[in-house]
Amino acid sequence: MDLERLGKHPRLFFLGLGLLAILLPWLPMGGSTNYVLRILTTAVLYMILALGLNIVPGFTGLLDLGYVGFYGIGAYTSGLLAIHYNMSMWLILPLAALNGALWGTLLGAPTLRLTGDYFAIVTFGFSELVVLVIRNELWLTRGPMGLPGISPPSIFGHPLTRDWEFFYLILILLLIVLVVVTRLQDSRVGRAWFAIREDEIAAQCSGVNLIRYKVTAFAISASIGAMAGAFYAKWFKFIHPDMFKFWESILILCLIVFGGMGSIAGTMLGALILIPLSEVLRAVLPQGLFSARYLIYGLVLVLMMRWRPEGLIPFERAQARKAWLAKERLKI
Amino acid sequence: MNSLLDQSSLFLQQLVNGITLGGVYALIAVGYTMVYGVIQLINFAHGEIYMLGAFLAYSMVTVLGLPFLAAFILTILICSGFGIILDFIAYRPLRKAPRLAALITAIGMSIFLQNLAMMIWGSQIKSYPRDVLPEIFSKTAWNVGDVTLSWLQIFMLVITIVSMAILHLVIHRTRIGTAMRAVSQDKTTSALMGIGVNRVISFTFAVGSAMGGMAGILVGLYYNAIFPTMGYIAGIKAFAAAVLGGIGSVPGAMLGGGVLGIAEVIGAGYISSEYRDGISYAVMIAVILFKPAGLIGRQIGEKA
Amino acid sequence: MKRIACFLIAWCLLTGAAWADSIKIPVAAAFTGQLASFGEGIKNAAILKGEEINAAGGINGTRVEIVLEDELCDPKEAATVATKLANDPKVPIVIGHLCSSATLAALPIYRDAKLPAISPASTNVSIGKMSPFYFRNVYKDDFQGLFLAKYAKLARGFQKVAVFYEVNDYSMGLMLAFMKEAKELGIKVLGTEAYTSDTTDFKPQLTKFKMMKPDAVFIPGYAPQATLIVSQARGLGMKIVAFFGADGLDDDLMLKNPDAEGLFVTTPFLPDKAGPQAAGFIKAYKAKYGKEPNWFAANAYDGVGIAAQAIAAAGPDRVKIRDYLASIDSKEKAYKGVAGNTYFDKNGDCLKDAFVKEIKDGKWVSAEKQLQ
Repeated sequence: MDLERLGKHPRLFFLGLGLLAILLPWLPMGGSTNYVLRILTTAVLYMILALGLNIVPGFTGLLDLGYVGFYGIGAYTSGLLAIHYNMSMWLILPLAALNGALWGTLLGAPTLRLTGDYFAIVTFGFSELVVLVIRNELWLTRGPMGLPGISPPSIFGHPLTRDWEFFYLILILLLIVLVVVTRLQDSRVGRAWFAIREDEIAAQCSGVNLIRYKVTAFAISASIGAMAGAFYAKWFKFIHPDMFKFWESILILCLIVFGGMGSIAGTMLGALILIPLSEVLRAVLPQGLFSARYLIYGLVLVLMMRWRPEGLIPFERAQARKAWLAKERLKI
Repeated sequence: MNSLLDQSSLFLQQLVNGITLGGVYALIAVGYTMVYGVIQLINFAHGEIYMLGAFLAYSMVTVLGLPFLAAFILTILICSGFGIILDFIAYRPLRKAPRLAALITAIGMSIFLQNLAMMIWGSQIKSYPRDVLPEIFSKTAWNVGDVTLSWLQIFMLVITIVSMAILHLVIHRTRIGTAMRAVSQDKTTSALMGIGVNRVISFTFAVGSAMGGMAGILVGLYYNAIFPTMGYIAGIKAFAAAVLGGIGSVPGAMLGGGVLGIAEVIGAGYISSEYRDGISYAVMIAVILFKPAGLIGRQIGEKA
Repeated sequence: MKRIACFLIAWCLLTGAAWADSIKIPVAAAFTGQLASFGEGIKNAAILKGEEINAAGGINGTRVEIVLEDELCDPKEAATVATKLANDPKVPIVIGHLCSSATLAALPIYRDAKLPAISPASTNVSIGKMSPFYFRNVYKDDFQGLFLAKYAKLARGFQKVAVFYEVNDYSMGLMLAFMKEAKELGIKVLGTEAYTSDTTDFKPQLTKFKMMKPDAVFIPGYAPQATLIVSQARGLGMKIVAFFGADGLDDDLMLKNPDAEGLFVTTPFLPDKAGPQAAGFIKAYKAKYGKEPNWFAANAYDGVGIAAQAIAAAGPDRVKIRDYLASIDSKEKAYKGVAGNTYFDKNGDCLKDAFVKEIKDGKWVSAEKQLQ
């Protein structure tokens, strides 16, 4: 597979992949269709999460280690609204996204003036605090007892229970997120983000309002994470604070680093490879080693940074590439 | 519970607990603060070196049957070597890459080492054999009213203070220390002045990791519990301590560790034990936002 | 290419195994990770029971295959495992899961697939009412917490107790039930403090307890932390305070700690109090694994036994098996297992005896005073 070329023609590749995805539930798979569908639904969920996270480190060049906090906020918003108000999923998804954006703005506004490392550590602290609140405020979240009994989503009064229904649902969500993210990338906002990533000072001199664009990026990223969380709660019908540990942030970061930070196609490919890989490892690895499979994720991060920091499918913008090359030349 | 005497001895005991905990944080924080001072990298894997220190000494005592003192010294040496290797294979190739790349590598190394330890030693909590230290250490050294202080606590505090003092002297009185300070101010100029920048960085990693490894053994002894994820939470708190004291400053790490340890214990004791870990995160965020230079430290946060 | 290869491998592994001629009884629990020591007893006993069933000619002549599914007590992993099992036509019933959070994540999947499951170890109160397809042959947290409060008051005469709980569902369920009953019985709960599973420094909370001067400290958590708590408390000078806990402390890890002498715990299974049917099990388990079975083992052994009996009586049909299990609803119809008699109420929960054992000279012995 020529990945460089794929980076230039992602449309065709993803059209094919999309078609395959639509047909997938109806292909004969010896009785394991639902199992495969569940794994792929997870993979697509992580694609959405990765696309959302990608906006911050990929587009604006800031490391966000607290993404899972927004994911958790979304999941609990969704779970609580479903249980207490019996709200429809079509209302819950935008509300959760809004709540994510709200928290993203609240966190982003004061912190985004910090430099990279400090921003990363503050986001980390934030997500740990979110999990602590979820864990300890029993009156609201039932804490470690988890939130069971979330009703499944329904369409025209028909509750979704089957795996293929959820698979199609998440494909639709992916499509929406994909459209939003690609449109943003090609817009004025997107260009401002890339300018910030390449050189903050130059961007500021060209009239880019740093804080405003950074906060926008952070809020949009957070709202996508929260929406994914909302879907997750409706799909699992049970949420628990342990599902939103720091590991998840790392895993999602790993997906985009592996696939190609900043590249939409790469981010998606990263999720599509690494998430099912975990299931394959369950079958292949001996039992004692399965629990240590994060070892492989750690290695992926280190090796990718050392040998192929641009990821599987490099970010495709010609001018960005040129800028990158120029930077490289400067170093030598 | 009600009498003033009880209240004050409760407070005193909590203070003793907090200072011991703070000493541990300070020992780990030194590693973060030194590395950050020299190459502006949050070495996430530092917490894992602390964990490895605890496990290496454990294996030397239980598997190889070494006497404790030998295991203690050997572990510290191995850990410092380990720090050098870590820098050499993971961070040095990325010295000129964007800072994001080095940070991600550090996170990757941390995860890798933690899971490696899980594969080697298993994920269950291990403890040092009871007879590893002379019996005196588990005895109570000081007991006034309801306040107790064990010899082990005193031993830990003494080691912490002595090693910090030595470190401070090394940084301010020796050639290599001067070189370190020069590199942390400006790498390029230091190189032009004939300082072997990479050698200085290696030295920094060696010293920081040695302190981390030592902290691992001491904590393993004190709490009698070592496990592969111990470096994660201790590392984060130690980093918070380093930030609190002012990153890049060794006395700052000491002060930050002490303040954070006491804040955590007092918080758990008087406010809410549920939010105990949250106290360090909140302190860390507040310091970064409102006083990014820390208690004693130079200004950070203006350079991308 | 890599992706396609991965799928092919997964595909073959998933579909290939379905061809053997046997009944699969999957056992889903944590066999690796931090709670692996609990899963170990479940694994050992399930394998032992499977071998015994096969040696006796299988279930109506068909071999039983015990399949181990490791989910690390992680809710997300548990849901994936559950989907895999729910879609395997060779699986008529599941034994699992261990942790309540894993059970709660897997529960909707089994319910939608109409696959009955028996948990040998999930004690969370909310499980029973949520699915007609979930059964358990272990008591609920509220029963255990209530029992401990009664025992603490009536058998030990404790008046003032402090509670030191872990922030998780198991520990908090126990704590709440204990506190409720303690209030009714007139035990004074001096204070409650919390810790998390990665805590190693318990001194701030213990220092508070020390000043309250309780008769006993109740630790409704797990052994790895409890052993540290007990040692640190003694180090702080809490010499005469008694410590007690629930079945989470029923772990041989506690025996290595001389400070834990005198600590007592509830357990659903006591080797020397178990009925005559248990003698054979204890002997076989010791012969095969070289140690005494704990309650996880006993419950898993019974769980597989109940499942086999249900399959033998109702055939391999999932709904019929569920109906059969639901019909075991009175003492007379109870399954006579090694850990006492098991019968289910309308929620699929069971009522069982609890026993108390304590550490004496570094060994678990059944406590002299029992409540019956």
